[in-house]
Amino acid sequence: MIGYSKSPVNEGKLCLKGYSGLSYNFSKERLKYPLIKRNGEFVRVSWEAALTETSNRLKKIIREYGPDSVAFQSSAKCTNEENYLMQKIARMIGTNNIDHCARSCHSPTAMGLITTLGAGAATGSINSLDDSKTYFVIGSNTTEQHPIIGTKIIKGSKKGKNLIVADPRKTQLAEVASIHLQFNPGTDVALLNSIMHVILEGNLEDTKFIEERTEGFRALRQELAKYSPEIVEGITGIEPGKLREAAKIIAKEKPTSILYAMGITQHVHGTENVMSISNLALLTGNLGIRGSGIFPLRGQNNVQGSSDMGALSEWYPGYIPVNSDSVKRFEILWKRSLPTKTGLTLSEMFDAAVDGSLKAIYIMGENPLVTEAAISDVEKGIENLELLIVQDIFMTLTAGVADVVLPATTSLEKEGTFTNTERRIQKVNVIYDSPGEAMPDWWILNEIGKRVGGLESYDTPRSIFEEIRKAIPNYSGATYENIYPIGKQWPINEENPDGTEILHTKSFPIGKGKLIPIPYKPPVEVTDAKYDFIMTTGRNYFHFHSGTMSRRADVLERESPEPYVEINTEDAKRIGVRDSQKITIESRHGSIETNVRTTDKIPAGIVFVPFHFDESRVNRLVGKTLDPLSKIPEFKVVAVRLVV
Amino acid sequence: MNYILSKSEMESAFVAISSDFQVYGAVERDGDVIFDRVAGFDQVSEERSRYAPKEFLMKRNENVLILNVESKKAVFGIKSCDLKGFYLMDKQIFGKDPFYTQKREKTLFANFVCSEPCSGGFCSSFGGPVLDQYDLQILREGEKFHVMVSEKYDRYFREFKKETGTFYVDFSNRFNSKLEPLPVEGIEKRIKWNSELWKEYASACISCGACNFECPTCYCFDLYDDGNERKKEWDSCILSGFTSSSAGNIRKGLDERLRQRFYHKFVYFKKSKDTYLCTGCNRCVEDCPVGIDIKEVITYDYNGE
Repeated sequence: MIGYSKSPVNEGKLCLKGYSGLSYNFSKERLKYPLIKRNGEFVRVSWEAALTETSNRLKKIIREYGPDSVAFQSSAKCTNEENYLMQKIARMIGTNNIDHCARSCHSPTAMGLITTLGAGAATGSINSLDDSKTYFVIGSNTTEQHPIIGTKIIKGSKKGKNLIVADPRKTQLAEVASIHLQFNPGTDVALLNSIMHVILEGNLEDTKFIEERTEGFRALRQELAKYSPEIVEGITGIEPGKLREAAKIIAKEKPTSILYAMGITQHVHGTENVMSISNLALLTGNLGIRGSGIFPLRGQNNVQGSSDMGALSEWYPGYIPVNSDSVKRFEILWKRSLPTKTGLTLSEMFDAAVDGSLKAIYIMGENPLVTEAAISDVEKGIENLELLIVQDIFMTLTAGVADVVLPATTSLEKEGTFTNTERRIQKVNVIYDSPGEAMPDWWILNEIGKRVGGLESYDTPRSIFEEIRKAIPNYSGATYENIYPIGKQWPINEENPDGTEILHTKSFPIGKGKLIPIPYKPPVEVTDAKYDFIMTTGRNYFHFHSGTMSRRADVLERESPEPYVEINTEDAKRIGVRDSQKITIESRHGSIETNVRTTDKIPAGIVFVPFHFDESRVNRLVGKTLDPLSKIPEFKVVAVRLVV
Repeated sequence: MNYILSKSEMESAFVAISSDFQVYGAVERDGDVIFDRVAGFDQVSEERSRYAPKEFLMKRNENVLILNVESKKAVFGIKSCDLKGFYLMDKQIFGKDPFYTQKREKTLFANFVCSEPCSGGFCSSFGGPVLDQYDLQILREGEKFHVMVSEKYDRYFREFKKETGTFYVDFSNRFNSKLEPLPVEGIEKRIKWNSELWKEYASACISCGACNFECPTCYCFDLYDDGNERKKEWDSCILSGFTSSSAGNIRKGLDERLRQRFYHKFVYFKKSKDTYLCTGCNRCVEDCPVGIDIKEVITYDYNGE
């Protein structure tokens, strides 16, 4: 495993997951044969038998209950071609019940930025961050979650660039930051509004940019008037002097780039948080030039791509709303009349399974029994299904309860394209043989699609890629030749034949950028006498999501072998617990047992729990209050109590 | 023995070696130089490979329950700094690690001596690119090749013209005068346990392990079981789980672990093996995402702190 030194993404630099994370590929636990459950036990069957039985059972359910009784969960770890194929199958069957984990990470970004700017993507390139004078990092533990981007910021800050970090936890970036705004979880809108309040108070806004490129300034100004730092301190806990200083740097020391991740999106106000960030960038004129911009950092290799491909219940490929006239272009392309009713999102799928309206779920490379909020509802939903199909590389918890398990290949064993966090379409090639009879996801989907959806057959990933170029105008100029080896950033088309590094240089796809007043609303979960801690959840440096892969990479697993809760040292003393001690965490939704890890990097009253561990699933504690706009659950604010 | 060969003579030596070995060479792929099978000497790149060729002797991840019989390999185009890494590793693991030892004995390395100092490298601090231990040491001078051959492989060159004189010594002196050596001598006495450097490095380090994985001298590994196999995988001493005992890692802080890495290279290895565990290749600097520079550890004014 060697970084490719000519890549503009990482210049050949890797993090530990790059160097040591890929040994999962050779694990003896890889799935090698199709399995069908008979009398509660998995039985090995041939591919022909697996495909025929799966298709027949799906067809029977569609015949009896209609296409909306079936749902598909795609994967941001799979290629563009595979995501495109899965959503196409769903829609050809006649349902928009297609969704994937972007719902749980960046659906607010898509919704928020498409509304305000017209494109739900990072506005600049990773390389352009070199030209920033100021970095504003909010809700992103960048050195742990996007380490190589994190190192750019570390190096910049050591060279004297401004770094403002807003995070409840004292992250590595917070330690080296010029200013750390250690605010209360879930108060992002108040914090951002207050920063903008100070900017307007000091006349530090970019008047020319606001006039020429935005609309809605007056209404925004009116809303912001309410957010003086003195008032907001009671909400965010941030001392007014510190906030004023930060606001001035962001507005004056331009270009400023704003980087965010799950700390912004995984809230019941996730979309509003994103729009507030957009407000700040527009207000300070920090869009359209190198070094400025908004960077939603993607948590999986292909979140951008799988969203672009329309593996989302409200959008066809290229973010065409399901209920718009533009769906016609796909009816022409796919030669079929297509569904126009918004489908079920990830979390809604399990509810529909509980109430009996959803009968079958086809999951590709996802593990909702670990990653989805309110796991007990997921369990109930799955129990109620007539058919659960799981396509994966390992026997995950979710695969374990499936009726059919289809063995897939890893990204080192297949061909296709991924679109990364900076909109860069990159090609992967087959490096290793796959074990046993494991097959690439696109092949499996193709076989099922032929049998169930009347899909025309694809011979190669390339033939799917060629169709994507026709389906999505922003991808039309990408070819196998020009995206290898270093990739191209979309939009790549006749107008931008070499791709586009910086978006919105002259105008926005929607014309003018929209400034939208966002009133602060508190998080849904609040502490009370019983549930007296706020828990926030997330990943750690060593593991990736449900740990399916990283926990099978021994060096990573050795570094982080067991579930834990981070508790402030003083809190730990107060409740009388010490490192490694077992403790029970209870929320209003469930309880788990885990191990104490004391730290000063988290403030008193807040605890952090990573979600990687099958044996102690923190998502049992997370409720399912959803952001009404993007339907993302609030993974970041849960009231809990600690029981010794 | 030293020889001097023409281009076509190099090719015929290459053919002779090819009949006994699987032959690999440094070749360019998509702009990066990597190692792959080569069919002719003229296919071998003189550019330095993107990575140290450690995998020839120590796979990143390998089953160590069965000692497979390895085939004989010849590797053309590795650079002297990378080759020297194996000679340093030998002092610690040759004869002890059977997996390494077998491959080491069956692999012929033909190292290319750089004609000019590279950017960033500091090999002259450790003797420069002309090594005194080698299998085939090759230096191109225009159309001619000066080749130093070890006794073990001398049979492949006996028919060619012997070279006597001081070509290599003169070249080495010239090279080392162009690249001023760092004051590495005595670093084991100067380096300071409580230096501010370690904390400064720790504030930027993201524990990626690049400095270990890219280093031609780092040999530490992790051992674990996977189904019916026991596997050995490259490891990094920057990680807190490395050499941890039931009480955890005795080096709790990242600053302590970073310091350990430099102390191992410049103090402990020197004391136990009478040489530094560094070849001046600069790979750890080039691949460090936050710019930690081992040259600074050598040149830093510890007394001035």
